[in-house]
Parts: sequence; structure tokens; C-alpha cells
Amino acid sequence: MKSRSLIALTASALALPGISSTASADTPPTVSSVGYRVSTYEEDNLPEELLFLGSPERYDIIIHQFQLVTPVGENYGLTLNSSYESMSGASPWYALPVFEGEKSIVMSGATIHEQRRDYNLSLRRYQDNGNYAFTIGTSRENDYDSWSGGFDIAHNFNNDLTTIAGGFSVSNDDINPTDAALFNRVTDESKRTSSAFVSVSQIIDQNSLFQSSLNMTRNKGFLTDPYKLADKRPDSRTQWAWSNAYRRFVNSLDAALHLDVRLYNDDFGVNSLTLDAAWYQNLGNNWQITPSIRYYSQSAADFFTPANDFSLYGVPNSSDYRLASYGAVSGGLQVQTFIDDISLVFKIERYVTDADYSIHNGQSSPALVNFTRMSLGVSYTF
Amino acid sequence: MKKSLVLLPLIIAAGLVCSSCQPVKAWERGTLAKPEMAIDADPMETTLNTHIFFSKEASNGGHNAAGGGCGCN
Repeated sequence: MKSRSLIALTASALALPGISSTASADTPPTVSSVGYRVSTYEEDNLPEELLFLGSPERYDIIIHQFQLVTPVGENYGLTLNSSYESMSGASPWYALPVFEGEKSIVMSGATIHEQRRDYNLSLRRYQDNGNYAFTIGTSRENDYDSWSGGFDIAHNFNNDLTTIAGGFSVSNDDINPTDAALFNRVTDESKRTSSAFVSVSQIIDQNSLFQSSLNMTRNKGFLTDPYKLADKRPDSRTQWAWSNAYRRFVNSLDAALHLDVRLYNDDFGVNSLTLDAAWYQNLGNNWQITPSIRYYSQSAADFFTPANDFSLYGVPNSSDYRLASYGAVSGGLQVQTFIDDISLVFKIERYVTDADYSIHNGQSSPALVNFTRMSLGVSYTF
Repeated sequence: MKKSLVLLPLIIAAGLVCSSCQPVKAWERGTLAKPEMAIDADPMETTLNTHIFFSKEASNGGHNAAGGGCGCN
């Protein structure tokens, strides 16, 4: 039997900073663990007063996730993640200028049923002063296949109080929309993505640490949504994200505070701010309850139009609500219990959007999405 | 010049934080090694959340490289 505290002490005894973005300790895993989690994601229906045509029932998704973490020899750790999604529902097809009250949204008529499978394998080598890893992954849908590969490396210095890390990834996506002939959609398009990051992590004192990361991602190729009518986007996009994370343990309350801030900018004209806060409250040795809150605000893309402008055929324009200006507030509550080598977790999260929540400029969309997500998971350490 | 500008946010952040840093010996890191103190305390939850927000918001990017895409919309 390996308790949480024993695993934590084992990690701390090995005495490296433990601030990698993907692992709780900068040491090889000493035990193996398997995890399974099932989640339901349900979007609210489009309000009838906005629906001009089609189904108001937006996406419902069931997601199954699997994870295996295991040591390989003395210095390597292997992580395998996979997921299976089953999706049904409708999405906005295009938007008309408002008439007949507020009716403007045309949803996809037939209910969509689709599955996605995702596999991701990472092998990490741990050394005295850092670690490095190779990662490969694939995502498979009936109309979309993606392959990716990446490398990242971290180096500890300053008596292991400071870690610098960097990495890159590349991916190639093939897009083959269904019903292409029926709806005059494209066939056999592709997209390439290159991404890189650098980060600095710092232990501040015995109870707090900080990480700042800069991420650049560049997409080239077919970036248009083939399932939206008259949607046209530029064939390249460069995205910048500056993410900052602060962790502080409050001994008197036996709780950990997580604060995260991200600033984002891209050459589609989208700027955004993301704020996250979570409070990991331990209740005795076997329970943990975690309330969390997230605020998100984005500006509209330069080529966003609330209603499709069909005179703009061939030049960038889109009525996709995801490119509109809006703000979102979400709140979550997670409960976790630890029974010997088994951990059980339940989480519920509610996500609500509104044009008025945004602190950024630009036009908004009537088709913004709200959703509720619930997850139930189990993990076993052996 | 351009590279310096790109790294400026990291330099500023590290400088602000380091100004209040204290030496922490290896045997004093028990609290920092607690699972809830990790930058990513729950990788499966993070993977799911990142995937949802990647699919439903225009922004993207965090503490690592982007990885692969999907047709999720």
C-alpha cells in the first residue's frame, strides 16, 4: 500500500524542483498507475427565439479517457493517454441578418453522429539536473486525421530552485469532410501546425512556486471550417500565448491555492485574457474538495461578421461564434477521495457565455454556447 | 532584438518572482512535492479541459507545445 503522503515524501526526498508542467515530480515514476474517467459534455439548446431553421439541439458528447503511467527501468517514465468520444447533436451552419424577431441562426438540419479516438504516448528520460521527453500522438475521426510528434527538455539549476524548459511539436492534419458533393464542400485538404514553448519555473519558498511560459503556434493550410456555409479564413495563423501559474500551500488550512493567468494574441485579430483560480482543500487524509472558477474574454477576429455576408465570397469572412467577441464565466466543484491505492474523483462544471462579459472589442454572435460538464473517474496505483 | 522582445515577458516574470525568493533546501520541499502543488495537479482533467476550450474558444496555448489537432467544433 502506498499512501498519498508516502508517494509525496518519496518524490520530495529525491529533491528536485517538481515543477514540470506534465508531472508532479521531476523524478521518474516509482510506481505505476492506471486511470479511467468518463465525462458527459452537454451544450444548452439554442433558444427557440434565435432559431430560424434546423435543430435546436446542440452537441452532447460522452468522453472516455484512459491513462497509464509506469516506470521503465530506473531512469525512464512512460505515459500513455487515450480517449474515445461519441458525439451527437447539431451546430450553427450559418447566420442570417436578424428578422422575424430575433431569428437568425440556421443550424445543421440532420443530427450529427461522430466518434473520435485519440492516442498519445510519451517517453521521458530523467537525469540529475532535468529531463527530456519524446511524444507522439494521433487523433482519428471519419473526416479528420491528425498525427503529431514533439520533444521537450527541462534543466534545473540555482540549487534546483529554478527550471528552464523548452520544446516543440509538429502535426499534420488531413481533412476530408463528409457529404462533400451534396453540400459542395472541399475534399482532401490539409493543415500543418508547428508549435514551440519556453518556460521558467521558480521555487519561491517552502510553500510556493511560480511558472511563466511563452508559447508560439503557427498553422498553415486549410483553416476554414468546412461544415459552415460560406466560411473562409486565411491560410495561415500565428498564435502567441503567455501563461503564468502560481501555486501556494496554506499550512494552517491544509489547502493549496492555484492561480493562473494567460494573455493571448494572434494574427486573426483575436486577443484574449484567461483567469483561473482553484482551491484544493484537504479534509483529513482521505478527502479533497476543490472549488474552481474561470473567467475568459476574447475579442472578435478581424473577419468575423455576426451574419454571413454572401457578397464576400472568396475573401476571409466567418459567422462562427467562436470568432466573435464574448466573455465566459465557468465554475466547477471537484470531490476526490483516496482509499488505499485507489482514488475516486467527481467533478461538475458549468460554463456560461455572454457578449456583455467581454472586456474586449468587436461584434458578438447570438449563437454563443453554454455547457455543463460532469466527470467521474477512478485511478489505481500499484 | 526581436528575440529579446519575445522573451521579455519571461524575463520580467522571473525577475519579479526571484526578488522575493528564498533558499529552500532539498529536505524542505515536502510541501512542494504534494500532488496538489503541481503546476498540473490532474493531467487527465487538464487534457479534457484543454480539449474543450480548444474546440469552443478562439485561443490556444499553455505551458507546453500545441501537439496535434482535431476536427472538433
